[in-house]
Amino acid sequence: MLSNVALTDLVGRRTRDVDGNVLGTLHDLVVIPQEHPTRVAFLVVRARAADLFIPADSLTAVSGGMIRLRPGRLETVTLPADSLLLLQRDLLDQQIIDVQGRKVVRVNDVELDVHPDGEGLLLDVRAVDVGSRGALRRLGTGVIPRHTLRALLARIPSRTIPWHLVDLVESDPSRRVKLKISYKGLSTLHPADIAAIVEDLPPAEREAVFETLDDEVAAGALEELDPRTQVAVVESLDSDRAADIVEEMGPDAAADLLGDLPEAQSGAILREMEPEERQQLRTLLEFGEHTAAGRMTTECLAMPASAPVRDVVAAIQGFEGELQTLAAVYVTGPEGELVGAVPIARTMIADPDTPLGRLVAAPPVNCHLDAPEDEVIALFDKYNLLALPVVDEQGRLAGIITADDVINLLRRED
Amino acid sequence: MRVAAFRSWRVRLAALLAVVGPGIITANVDNDAGGIYTYSLAGARFGYSLLWTMIPITVALIVVQEMSARMGAVTGKGLSDLIRERFGLRATFLLMIALVITNFGNIVAEFAGAASSLELFHISRYIVVPAVAVLVWVLVVRGTYDSMEKIFLAASAFYVCYIIAGVLAHPNWRGAVISTVERPEEFSLSSHDYLYMVVGLVGTTIAPWMQFYLQASIVEKGVTAKQYRTSRWDVIVGCIFTDVVAWFIIVACAATLYVHGRRNIADAADAAQALRPLAGDWAYVLFAAGLFNASLFAASILPISTAYAVCEGMGFESGLDKRFADAPAFYWLYTILTGAGAAILLIPHFPLVRVMVLSQVVNGAVLPVVLIFMLQLITDAELMGEQVNSRGYNIIAWATSAVMIVLTLAMLFT
Repeated sequence: MLSNVALTDLVGRRTRDVDGNVLGTLHDLVVIPQEHPTRVAFLVVRARAADLFIPADSLTAVSGGMIRLRPGRLETVTLPADSLLLLQRDLLDQQIIDVQGRKVVRVNDVELDVHPDGEGLLLDVRAVDVGSRGALRRLGTGVIPRHTLRALLARIPSRTIPWHLVDLVESDPSRRVKLKISYKGLSTLHPADIAAIVEDLPPAEREAVFETLDDEVAAGALEELDPRTQVAVVESLDSDRAADIVEEMGPDAAADLLGDLPEAQSGAILREMEPEERQQLRTLLEFGEHTAAGRMTTECLAMPASAPVRDVVAAIQGFEGELQTLAAVYVTGPEGELVGAVPIARTMIADPDTPLGRLVAAPPVNCHLDAPEDEVIALFDKYNLLALPVVDEQGRLAGIITADDVINLLRRED
Repeated sequence: MRVAAFRSWRVRLAALLAVVGPGIITANVDNDAGGIYTYSLAGARFGYSLLWTMIPITVALIVVQEMSARMGAVTGKGLSDLIRERFGLRATFLLMIALVITNFGNIVAEFAGAASSLELFHISRYIVVPAVAVLVWVLVVRGTYDSMEKIFLAASAFYVCYIIAGVLAHPNWRGAVISTVERPEEFSLSSHDYLYMVVGLVGTTIAPWMQFYLQASIVEKGVTAKQYRTSRWDVIVGCIFTDVVAWFIIVACAATLYVHGRRNIADAADAAQALRPLAGDWAYVLFAAGLFNASLFAASILPISTAYAVCEGMGFESGLDKRFADAPAFYWLYTILTGAGAAILLIPHFPLVRVMVLSQVVNGAVLPVVLIFMLQLITDAELMGEQVNSRGYNIIAWATSAVMIVLTLAMLFT
């Protein structure tokens, strides 16, 4: 038979051994995540002298407002507190990441499964309660008559998050390792959702997330943060790690970020980067932030006019930038000058042997590196563009601006 | 050499501007409608003889505000977050209810101040109060943190009105300065009225909402532990400016109303009116305009800061970047506090005074609790790290709090 019980309902109960002697009151429950992700391993009983850590398999009953322990087995141990997850201390009333709901929430209670195991009972963490129902139960217990409270609670829908969809927030790196806290759930979310969650966390916890996520996920999330938070996060990371993340960012976003950092710091990060990407970023950094050059990314697909259509697939396979920015192939002449653009879709229906130069009709809409933001926006609006190529003085392709950058610009102006 | 000096000066200015705002704004809001009335009354009743309180009050204000700002910078969390995590749901819930009651009283007082100041210019409160409520609501919901901060800093500068009005009142400067630094005469301290006024001055200067608001805005602004040394100046300068303004209000009323035997004023607008024949039209206009500014300013801050504190503590979704449907508790609380605060003033024969008294009583009861919570938190090395209170600072902080507690209790029971 399986039943469940709330942590706050257990805590504070008197704990008796088999002879009925009161040992003390239950103070906390201990989970050791590196041994079992949900199982309660120890009970912490607050006795007059000290806190006793009693193995949870001594538990025989949790009914009748008290807790009973099995005969004969009352070994107590002392444990290093920092490698244990204490449900009351570390979870109750603290903030956690709700992977399902994609936000930061506060824990009102912890729900435990109680199941019989031979003569004893096992406790497993099942879910955390983050709704007003858990809150009301805690506030009302002992204040509102029990049956009134129960009737009230029955009318409130419960809001719980299954334990495996909870990511704990822990800013101490060594504890994070010991407790196996990994932000596994968080890293499965969309970068924009990760960013929104991270913005709700205090700085130390924010750093912890960025130290733990892998480079690519961290880069995606970092791009979505607002510039001030971006700077704060990067400043808190060491330059080695920061460089790894910045390398994974789109060059336009990376350049904006480095431009906002103090010079010493952006220099340190650049030094840690691969030479090729460093050069690319250096070039972008030289342009004013509010010009076309400051908004563009240099990652675009450019091919000579003489290349046949069949080469496009290989070029896409070798493309290192974000695939979602690929809307067209930019066709260049012998000097690298922009000749035209061919939509990717077009290359799929054209004869594979046709040189790309033949598919270009008119010279494409483009703008100069120095073009101000307003002009860029106007071009997107007038020609309904998905991407706009940017050229230098000699008409050579320097990079492209994509529609998502323009949307960001417009939102910021509001 | 000179270039280097110029550069370092510029860097320092930039560092200052990055953190300036929260301290100055919080301290100035403190001179709200209720505060201005209390200072005016102190001057009208007792002349210069209460000016000595200004220096100890400023010290106490700085000590308390500095702790809030430091906790915000170090932990990155709001005060109600910290209280919830440390003291649990029940304590937080009770404190939040008390905070809502006392802040609601203050909000009503701000609307009353706005109404009575414009009534001096013959504008009906049935126009002023709804207009102010709508203005405040729109300003807060539509504005971003940065734009709001600029508006609020401008409003803070407007308090110079009172300094000018003080000068126009042609006080006895020498007498005023001497009374500020001199020990109070002993016989006056045994007078019940006098003591009551002292308590009133202290109570109006250090209010519970300020601690929640200051800490939250430090967090919102993203001030870090590293920047905190600079941020401290923001707090100190803010507190001093605020009390200089208070000093001038007392002096203005002492030099005119007290000297001419006009010892009883009903509210802050009444003080402005009484000043007119004695200090001239300009002093009158400045006093009234200052009152309107102060009321509007505080009415913009109190409801929203209450909504934030309560929602954070209770774990409800909060934040102006959320949609109404995602953060209903937050928006409802904000809207009701603003709407009801305004509506009460439009009810004919509403027992306004009784509401104010109740709110002052709750205010007095809440302050000691908040101070004790704060002291527990700020002396916790696990939370504060190196920024924990030093022993000497601790003594000052406890002494300040003890005096505050004794005085507020004295006010409650006299």
